[in-house]
Amino acid sequence: MKYLILVTLFFQLIAVPMFAQEPDDACYQCHIEMDIDQDDEDRLFTNYLNDIHVEKGFSCADCHGGDPEAFDDEDESMWDNDSYLGELSAKDEIQMCGKCHSDPVFMRNYSVSVSVDQETQYWTSGHGIALKKGNKKVATCTDCHGVHGILSVENPNSKVYDSTVPKTCSKCHSSESYMAGVLESTDQYDEYVKSVHGNALLEKKDMFAPACNDCHGNHGASPPDVSSINEICGTCHAQNRDLFQNSHLSEAFLKEGLPQCESCHGNHNIVKPSDDFLNWGSASVCVECHEEGGKAKEMAGTLYQIIDSLKINLDSAKTLVERAEIKGMEISDLYFNLEDAHNALIHTRTSIHSFNTDFVRETATPGMVASEEAKTGAKAALDEFDYRRKGLFVASFIITLLALLMYIKVKQVEAHSKKDGDNG
Amino acid sequence: MTVNDWLQERFDIEAVKRFAAKKQVPIFYGTVWYYLGGVSLFLFIIQVLTGILLALYYQPGSATAFESVKFIVSKVEFGWLMREIHSWAANLFVFAIFLHMFTVFFSKAYRKPRELTWFTGMVLLGLAMFFGFSGYLLPWNELAYFATKVGTDIAGAVPFIGDFLIKVLRAGDEVSGATLTRFYSIHTAILPMIFIIFLAVHLIMIQVQGMSIPLSMEGTPANKRKTMPFFPNFVIRDLIVWLIILNVIALLAVFFPWELGLKADSLASAPAGIRPEWYFMFMFQTLKILPAHMWILEGEVFGVLMFAVGGIIWLLVPFLEKPKHSKLWFWFGVTILIYMIVLTVWGYLV
Amino acid sequence: MSISQKSKPQLTSRRSFLDGLLTFTLLGWLSAMIYPVFRFLVPPKQPDLNVSSLDAGFLEAFKINTSKILRFGRKPVLVVRQKSGDFKALSATCTHLDCNVQYKKDTEQIWCACHNGFYDMEGRNISGPPPKPLSQYQVTVKDEKIIITRGEGV
Repeated sequence: MKYLILVTLFFQLIAVPMFAQEPDDACYQCHIEMDIDQDDEDRLFTNYLNDIHVEKGFSCADCHGGDPEAFDDEDESMWDNDSYLGELSAKDEIQMCGKCHSDPVFMRNYSVSVSVDQETQYWTSGHGIALKKGNKKVATCTDCHGVHGILSVENPNSKVYDSTVPKTCSKCHSSESYMAGVLESTDQYDEYVKSVHGNALLEKKDMFAPACNDCHGNHGASPPDVSSINEICGTCHAQNRDLFQNSHLSEAFLKEGLPQCESCHGNHNIVKPSDDFLNWGSASVCVECHEEGGKAKEMAGTLYQIIDSLKINLDSAKTLVERAEIKGMEISDLYFNLEDAHNALIHTRTSIHSFNTDFVRETATPGMVASEEAKTGAKAALDEFDYRRKGLFVASFIITLLALLMYIKVKQVEAHSKKDGDNG
Repeated sequence: MTVNDWLQERFDIEAVKRFAAKKQVPIFYGTVWYYLGGVSLFLFIIQVLTGILLALYYQPGSATAFESVKFIVSKVEFGWLMREIHSWAANLFVFAIFLHMFTVFFSKAYRKPRELTWFTGMVLLGLAMFFGFSGYLLPWNELAYFATKVGTDIAGAVPFIGDFLIKVLRAGDEVSGATLTRFYSIHTAILPMIFIIFLAVHLIMIQVQGMSIPLSMEGTPANKRKTMPFFPNFVIRDLIVWLIILNVIALLAVFFPWELGLKADSLASAPAGIRPEWYFMFMFQTLKILPAHMWILEGEVFGVLMFAVGGIIWLLVPFLEKPKHSKLWFWFGVTILIYMIVLTVWGYLV
Repeated sequence: MSISQKSKPQLTSRRSFLDGLLTFTLLGWLSAMIYPVFRFLVPPKQPDLNVSSLDAGFLEAFKINTSKILRFGRKPVLVVRQKSGDFKALSATCTHLDCNVQYKKDTEQIWCACHNGFYDMEGRNISGPPPKPLSQYQVTVKDEKIIITRGEGV
């Protein structure tokens, strides 16, 4: 008897950790058993216990309906139950999620600052609009967020974590077969990965770099209007946005219906711009519209020349400073000048978005001044270096001569006194 | 009326001149070593002059010392030259004194009646090394900071008063801006005063007693000895040597400038290759190789005691040496010399 | 007298040539040593700060009939808000022996405590040792802020 009690207790002990986290509802109890037998890719519940809804105490029935208390009874729990919904269609799914997530009062129980406009946004998105029209091949809540293992956006394992978003979008958007008839281009992800933003987010793990949702929106995802691109890029590149908006190009672009920023910088494969964008050569972006050249070519040429001369000045200053440093001269102050010049170069490159030669020249001037100062300082240091060696040569000559003369003198004095000594 | 006559009417210049003319320098194979005393004096004068000039711009204090030295070296006209001369002459100064001490030792010039001259000379050597130690910290750079840390730590190894010594030297428990202030006053006020007093006594005694003659010459009667008058013959030769040394320093200043390095940072790790100045190296290396415990004493304490005992013996050589043991003392000196050289080189090889 | 007397003239001329050359070289050496010391003694020129204007704070913060001394580049400037509400900005360095002047509220004059010099609100030296007037700076009020700029002749 004693042993029976012990054995039962033992099994209950090990049972507690095994089943403590598991939901105490009828749905899970049956369906998990069926699920375990499935192949890995067909499994539904690989991460269910980490699902944020499960953690907060929701059950299968909260989305699927049915009676979660009707253990071991298929009919009572599902078929005969009026509230049972079973597998949800795309539209139903979105409305089911929205039932809670669009209710601010309800959501306030879990977070006072979480947004509640996801569903409203969704119906304005490219996905939502297509779904309303009857196209079922669109992304729904579960396609991006997962279904039975939904994690918080802040969780690095979530499918919609910052750096995972591009991959999640590309699951559909990179598939030619899937996007056939809907969207022609499927190279967005490949292009993005090569871009500065892709590199920053995916390689350098800079979480401030934009993923697809930062430019396209997440729940209201759709390609930006031609007129709003400037604002979208301007969220981070504010100076460029302001300068461009005040330039004469902004109106012209709007009139022609040309997308701002994108026309010169591309959209997904945005690379580090080169100064050659301005140079009227093969890399020129201006020539695409201004085929004949004219005033545009003149301005581009001037802008290029301003940047180039600043760059050349800065490089030659750097060379001189490094030369002085190698010679051992104390020139650490000059590195501040070089930094100022470098900052001016960055500002000048930004300033060209004003397409105003005077403004650009104004921005570049402090950089030219700073690199001139660095050059002057470096030259002075190099001159000083030569001066010291010349000075040493002169001083050594004088000292040697003096020592020699003194030696002759002392010999002379001694010879004389010796003679006197002999005679005296 | 010449200047001489004018002064003669007021002070007995002729007596001074007669007294000076009596001083003779023995001429033999070892005469060249007789320059070392004057060279040491010359280097001290250079240190005082360049030190005063540097003090016109140097600002002690952990926030300003490094920057002021940088200012001197990069912005002040010929500032680099004054600093380089001061740094190089400091090293040559200590070297010259060591060399002078050894030549005096091996020629046994410390024997009667010159025991006190030897004594004051040893004090001057100690003061010179303290000059070097305190001056080294003043640029407040990384190397200096850690070298001072290590050096003052060794002072702590002195039994009984070690703790007291550390607190007095460091002006606290750690090396800090307070240490810098204290070292500055030691280097520019306290040491110069004490040094000059001992130097004056040292020089006066030499002047009064005359130059020591080698043992080999003692047998020869005074009027048959080969000598030259100190004034003006040896003095002019002395000055020529001084000129040559000046030129050497100038060459070193231009071609082998001392780095300023990085500013001291109490939180930075000690840089690789950190070590004390070369004249402390033999002691540093000795302490390094001593085992952690020698009988009942800690290795460091044993080392410090060893130096103390050795130093005292060396100091008391004029009183301890008996004529029949002169060979012994010669080899004792050789051993000490070799020990110092070997340990110094060793310290740099590691 | 010695036999060497006969050869004295030759010896003397050679000796005096040597002496002359020695003296010349000695002087050369001395100047070569003293020159760097002299150059060392004069500190390098501080770079010009090139300040063209100074922000003297908000209008409301400056009480009537009070003054402030502010730094314009490297020079001190006395800024006074007079009883009328207007501003006056003058050089604060007394033209006598360079002491910093002050504003006297009661007499509405500028006074130098060192040797009892007085200036009026235009900077004119009206009493005491100051030989010249104080130079004037321009004051403008822009966006509620007081801006000081160089006057003509500063």
